[in-house]
Order: sequence, then C-alpha cells, then structure tokens
Amino acid sequence: MEVQIEDPSGEIKHLRHCINDLISVLGLPVIWSGSEPFQIIRSLLDTLLSMLRLDFVYVRVKEPIGDAPTEMVRVAQSREQVRSQEICELVNHWLGDDHLKSPRLVRNPLGDDELSIVAVPFGLQGEIGIIVVGAQRRDFPRQTERLVLSMAANLAVLGLQEARLRSEQKGVASELDRRVAQRTRELGHANVELRKEIAERQRVEAQLRRSEAFLAEAQQLSRTGSFCWRVATDEITWSEQLYNTFEFELGTPVTIERIISRVHPGDVPMMNERVESARTCGEDFEYPHRLLMPDGSVKYLIAIAHASLDAEGRLEYIGAVQDVTQRRLSEEALAKAQSELARVARVTSLGVFTASIAHEVNQPLSGIITNASTCLRMLTADSPNLDGARETARRTIRDGNRASEVIARLRALFSKKDITIEALDLNEAVREVIALSLSELQRHRVILRPELADDLPLVTGDRVQLQQVILNLLWNASDAMNTVDDRPRDLLIRTEREEGNWARFSVKDAGLGFDPQHMNKLFEAFYTTKNEGMGIGLSVSRSIIESHQGRLWAAQNDGPGATFSFSIPCRPDTKVQ
Amino acid sequence: MNSHQARSAIERSLVVVIDDDESLRESLPDLLREFGFAAHAFSSAEEFLSSDSNGQTKCLILDVAMPGMTGLDLQQELRRRGQEIPIIFVTAHKDDTVRARALEQGAVEFLFKPFSDTALLEALNKAIRMS
Repeated sequence: MEVQIEDPSGEIKHLRHCINDLISVLGLPVIWSGSEPFQIIRSLLDTLLSMLRLDFVYVRVKEPIGDAPTEMVRVAQSREQVRSQEICELVNHWLGDDHLKSPRLVRNPLGDDELSIVAVPFGLQGEIGIIVVGAQRRDFPRQTERLVLSMAANLAVLGLQEARLRSEQKGVASELDRRVAQRTRELGHANVELRKEIAERQRVEAQLRRSEAFLAEAQQLSRTGSFCWRVATDEITWSEQLYNTFEFELGTPVTIERIISRVHPGDVPMMNERVESARTCGEDFEYPHRLLMPDGSVKYLIAIAHASLDAEGRLEYIGAVQDVTQRRLSEEALAKAQSELARVARVTSLGVFTASIAHEVNQPLSGIITNASTCLRMLTADSPNLDGARETARRTIRDGNRASEVIARLRALFSKKDITIEALDLNEAVREVIALSLSELQRHRVILRPELADDLPLVTGDRVQLQQVILNLLWNASDAMNTVDDRPRDLLIRTEREEGNWARFSVKDAGLGFDPQHMNKLFEAFYTTKNEGMGIGLSVSRSIIESHQGRLWAAQNDGPGATFSFSIPCRPDTKVQ
Repeated sequence: MNSHQARSAIERSLVVVIDDDESLRESLPDLLREFGFAAHAFSSAEEFLSSDSNGQTKCLILDVAMPGMTGLDLQQELRRRGQEIPIIFVTAHKDDTVRARALEQGAVEFLFKPFSDTALLEALNKAIRMS
C-alpha cells in the first residue's frame, strides 16, 4: 500500500530535525564519560527537555543496593511555577504499579489542557528505572521523538551502568585503600607494641644480667657457692663460686666422687655417711667439713641444703656451701690471743699472789723443820725416844707432801698449757681456789662463807680457766672490802644448780659496790677502779665464761656490796656422787 | 739465876701454842717438851681464853692471822685484862708492818715461818727471863 505524504517538505524538515537530535543523543556518552550517575541523569533530563520541547521530564532510578529509588524532575522554563515535588507525586499517581501501561493522555496538572505523557523504561525490563516525559503539544509524541527518547534512555542506561561500575570500582578501590590503611595502622601499632616488648625484654634481660652479676659478686664476697643435686641421676649443678672454692675448672662435670676426692681424708668417712644418708632420708642437712687442696692447704666449709621434690616427684637438694676458712682462722687466732691474755692475767695475778704462795708453802715448811728438829733431839737423847721420832718423821713426810701439793696446785694454775676441755666438778675447783686463797683472805680479815651445793652436776670446761675466773672474782671481792671497817668483811661463795641444767657460781661481798652507770664498763678491758691493776681480770673472765657457752654478770646487793656470778651449762645427765 | 735455877724455871713453865695451822700446832709442843717445857696447843685465841691454861701460861707462841680473833687482837685483850704474858709471834706472812706493831705492843719476838729451833729457843729463854 502506498503512503501519501501530505506535506513532504515539512516531513523532510522533521526528519532532518530528528537526525540532528539522534546525532546529539549519540554524542551524549562522550559527555557522560567519567561523570557520576546523578550528573548523567541530570544531563539526560536537560537534553530531552530542550530537544523534545517537553513540559517536564521525570526519571526514577533504582539504586543498586536496596536503597529507596532516586527521583529527579526537570520542568520547562514556562512551567517553573510547578514544584518538582508535585510532578513526582502526579507521575507516581499516573504510573501506579504498572508504569509501562500508563495512559498517554492525562489531565494536565500544569494547566487546563490535557497532557500527553510517555513512559520509557530504563533497561530492557525497566530494571534500572523509568523515564516519564510530558508535553502539551498535540503531536506529541511523534515516532521520531519516541525513537530519540528510547535511544537517549538506552544510552543513559549504558552510561549509568558504566558510571555505577566505575563507582563500584572506586568503592572497591577505596575499600581496599581503607583496608590497606587500616592494616597498615594495625601493623604500625603492632610494630610499636613489638618494639615496646623488645625494649622490655632487653630491660628484663639487662636486669637479669645485673642480678646474676650481683649474685655472683655476693657469692664471691661471702665465699658462698650454690648447688643443685638431683639424687636420682646424680646430676650436680654448681655455681661459679663453688668451682672457685673447690678449685675445679669452671664448667667441668662435677660428681660425688670428684667432690670427695677433695675432702680432707679425716672427713671422708663422715662425708660418705652424710651422702648416703641424704640419698635415703631426703631430709635437710647441714654439716661442716674440710677440704685438702692440692697445695696442701686446708679449707673449712659449711654445707647446708634443703631437700625437695622436682616436678616428677624425684628427690633433689638445693643448697649452699660457704668457705669459712678465714673466719675459722680468725677464731683460732682470737682464741689463741684470748688464751695468751688469760695467761698474762694469771701471771699478773701471780705477783699479787706471792704473799699467799709464801704463806701456803711456809706453813708446811715450818712444820717440816720443827718436826725434823724434834726428831733429831729425840734420837740424840740419852735414851732415844724412837716412838716420838717415828711420829715426828711421819709428820715431816705429811707436811712435805702438803708443800708439794701446794706447789703442784700453783703450777697448775699459773703454768701455760693448752686448753683442756673435760668434765669437772665445779665445787672441787672452787675448793682448790679457796685453799690457795684462804690465808690471803684471812690476812685481809675477810670472813669466808662457802655455800656449795650438794647436788651440783658436772660441768664441761677447762679447769684452769674456770679457776682463774673464780680466783679473779674472789680477789676482786676481797679488794672491794679493803677499806671496810664498819661491818664484817663477809664474803659469800655459793654454787647452785639452776633451772635448765645450768650451774651458777656467785661471789657476794660486803664492799663498796659499783656505780650502776659503769655497769657496762666493768667488763671492758683496761677498765679498773683499783690503784694497782691492769683492768683485764673481768674482761678475760667474761671471755673465758663465754667460751664455755656461759655468761658472767654483776649485780648490786640490796645491802652493801655487789655480787658477781657466772652460769655455765652442766653436762647432760650427770650428777656429783 | 744460875743454870740449875733456870732449868727448874723452864721445867715448871707452861708454853702455849695458838695456831690454826695443824702442822705447827702438832709439831711445836713436841719440840717444846724436848726443850723441857710443859706445852699445850690451841687452834684459836677464843679457845685459849676460855681454857684453864690462861692463868698458868708463862709464854705464848702466837700465830698472827687466824679466823676470828687474830694474834694481835689477843695481845690487846690480854693487856686489857692486865695479863702480861710474854708473847712470841710466829707467822707465815712477811708483813713488816704487823711485825712492828706487835713489837711495839710488847711482843718478845716476831719469828717468820719457817724458823729454826735455836731461834725459837733463844726467844723462849728471853721470854722466860722476862716472865
């Protein structure tokens, strides 16, 4: 069928116009390149509004992810009095649910006339959205205008998709950047924490090294080494100081046999016994022992250890070994010095004692001479008196023995000899001193009153040293009463048993006493209240008593004078019979 | 006094020994008897003062240092009582102060132990002459 064209020139003009519009539309993607979706839509709306001489153009674009659709409206300049919001509401009302079947002619909300509208889907099924355009023109929409509209919509869909893709890419890139930045921050933070941890570790390690250095220094200074002995495996760990003490090469293996090879032969049996006991008993131990070093020197050690169980319940000992050689040698030197001082004190006493010695010796000598003279006379008489001579000869021998005993007693008291620790009867020691001192005390008009306990157990000590103390206290008491003339010069000497198995010896005088302020000075060396005296008697006496694990003290009497006492331990389970 | 008279005087004289020391207290009376004296011994001054020998004693051999009353104390006590008994002091203590004091108070002799029998006899003769 042949189609008749009423106005061919107008139609040609129209077609030309359409072609120009299509060319313009085809150029839109170039403009949209790199634009954001909303820029594309706005550009599309503006182009369609002017190109198709529309009264309005509306677009609704679905957002890719769940958000509410975006609506945009453009209104021709002549209709600007109409607000976009009203257009949106009207379009939504027109479109209803099925916008593709929307009526083409609707009542014009912008005026009295009818309005021709066209809805074009965005995307094949309108999945992107929809474009609605409206014009009051009667010839709207022509086919060419529909073509332009569809072409523009399709190109816009492509542009939108590209823009969205680009946007997504940007989002992904941005997210990636964000995550990279976050991870970088996290790594930076972790790095800071790691640096802190390293610094803390270095600080702790330095502190540990310092602490170990201190410990090593302390061990060296105190000559104390530490050890660990795992009994089950005989594994022995030593500190550096212990290697030094035993003079073993540092780090070389240590065994029980190697240790015992260093022990003084005299202590080896004891050491073996202690080791075996430690293996079986699992109890703490402490014992002194000696080492005999390769150069022949002797070291004195004290080992002390604590028994415990390791994580697997096996017995182990952790302990320390202290080298007390210096202390031991000092103690021996001190004891020797004290012994020498005590001897000096005794010799000093000897001078004071001369008169008493003379008296004690002269008494029996006098008897001897008298008896001998009598004996001679009896024998040389005209009729010899043999019985009388025999009796006087017997007395001569007796007195000779008595003189001999006095000399022996004096020699025992004043001679230099090593300390002999033995069980002794304190009462007997006191009686011997009294016997030597009696005449001297009498000469000083001292009234001696001994009260010696009957039940006094034996004590352990050096008889001569203890007698030196007794003698010293006796003479001090006598001296303290030298100027006393208004009362008897009573001197009470007492021995008694004290609670806790101790024996006490006391000397109570009726002398001048002492100034309580000088109580502490009494026992200091070279302190004396006498015109003649070195002031070492009480000092030496206290040293002697302390070396007997006892104590010596002074107290003012309730009445005149003072009492000096010492207490020393008795031997366990002994009693004088 | 001739020797016979002197010997008779000795034989009649009681010499008393006072000493707390057993040796001399036992031995000295025997020696005195060998000399021809009558002799008696006491261990303390108090014992002597309370005995019957007090008034008959011609000579005292007296120890200086004794428990209780000393030799010097007894010397003073006898003087206080008006009993002028010659005293020979014997002592084991070499104490010149005491010796001087004893002689000053009238002692016949002051002998230091041990003394010889001749020294004693001389002192005794001196004492008997004084008595």
